Amino acid sequence: MELNNSKIKIKAKNLNVYYGAKQALFDINLDINQKEVTALIGPSGCGKSTFIRCINRMNDVIDICKVEGSIQLDGSEINEKKVDVVTLREKVGMVFQKPNPFPKSIYDNIAYGPTIHGVAENKDQMDEIVETSLKKAALWDEVKDRLNEPGTSLSGGQQQRLCIARALSVSPEVILMDEPCSALDPIATAKIEELIDDLKKSYTIVIVTHSMAQAVRVSQKTGFFHLGKIIEVDSTEKIFKNPDNKMTQDYITGRFG
Amino acid sequence: MSGTGHTVKSYEEEMQSLNDNLVMMGSLTESQMADAMSAVIKVDKESVDKIVKSDGKINELRSIIDNQITTVLVKRAPMAVDLRITISTMKISHDLERIGDLAKSVAKKVKPLPVDLPDELTASLRRLGDLVQKQLKDVLDAYLNKSKDKAIEIWRKDEQVDDLTNLAMNEVATYLQKDKKNLEMATHLLFVTKNIERAGDHITNIAESLYYLIEGEYLEGARPKGKPVESE
Repeated sequence: MELNNSKIKIKAKNLNVYYGAKQALFDINLDINQKEVTALIGPSGCGKSTFIRCINRMNDVIDICKVEGSIQLDGSEINEKKVDVVTLREKVGMVFQKPNPFPKSIYDNIAYGPTIHGVAENKDQMDEIVETSLKKAALWDEVKDRLNEPGTSLSGGQQQRLCIARALSVSPEVILMDEPCSALDPIATAKIEELIDDLKKSYTIVIVTHSMAQAVRVSQKTGFFHLGKIIEVDSTEKIFKNPDNKMTQDYITGRFG
Repeated sequence: MSGTGHTVKSYEEEMQSLNDNLVMMGSLTESQMADAMSAVIKVDKESVDKIVKSDGKINELRSIIDNQITTVLVKRAPMAVDLRITISTMKISHDLERIGDLAKSVAKKVKPLPVDLPDELTASLRRLGDLVQKQLKDVLDAYLNKSKDKAIEIWRKDEQVDDLTNLAMNEVATYLQKDKKNLEMATHLLFVTKNIERAGDHITNIAESLYYLIEGEYLEGARPKGKPVESE
């Protein structure tokens, strides 16, 4: 796989993150390619979620969290003070481990973001955004006749796709996914994976997953984190067939004591 | 290879058992080949039935290994080195089974041979048999020691197997030209020679699988070849 020919969407350089006195990330250098799926794997507490939360500055909301170093989105530094985090999060959406629809209708869940960002000018435009977003998230056919029902009335897998649709409603460029399938059954997981495959044609996706099989299935590039450091990054095929680093091999083959 | 074992003990045991069965299969195939060659050279017709029968044990092990591999794939979804071990073991076990079959075919040709087989007919065949047996022993040792260099050496040495095959076939053809009455015997010996050469090819396949297991890459370039047998 040719990794070098891809355009770099996100570039992390010498990124260090601290929670109070505890350092969570150590000198992370990682390039994330545009319109590709990058999987981040590693044991719990290794820093992979902390890392993706840096990409849309979600760590800003944690008082004791300090981020040093550089993250560039399309060559522009996102950690500078002048950067408006609301605009940043419009470009960089996020989907979490547990589906977290707002306690509102399916329609309002999707309309919320575009309303805040002032994207739609009238009801017709908003209707269109809701429909398009739900279609992109492969949920439209299942909910089109019940848009006024609460988002929480959907099944777990549907709720997760609703959250993906919500992220898509503000036309992001990057979607961060933090273990998006860990609460889902295999069928709902397959639907999300199918969706990821489809979404990567238009979006850059970074996914944190504990499932090796999922990383292999959905991603083109994989990074292995351990104790706050990046141990190895390479094409997914290389990482899972023949990794260079012994720690990577021990982790993915289940040899970690 | 990784020095530490799997966190899940039963996974470790499954991989160990797979390895043990392959080693056992290799050892039986080695004996089978040695017995078949000895039967030809000594024209020992009495040993033929035993050799034919013991091929069943090799086939049985292949089938056990196939089942174990299916189980490992479905239960463990092996990754990296475990994946390469699993894939290579499957391929190696199939090559060993074919070598066992070829040894059996060699043995079966002993029955119609005359007991007073002239030495001039078997000199090169004996050398070919010795070389192929040595190659088999070496590749099994290389597997045990996971030796990449040995795998390459064995792979390259197949050229000598091809050359000796040509020599042995020429000897038989010359003998046949002397007296057409030798036709039946010569035909059997040509089959024996060809079968041994084919066993040599499976040994190089094993060397290739072993190289992949160790390196995660395929041996590159065409295998060195002796003069083509068919051109003789």
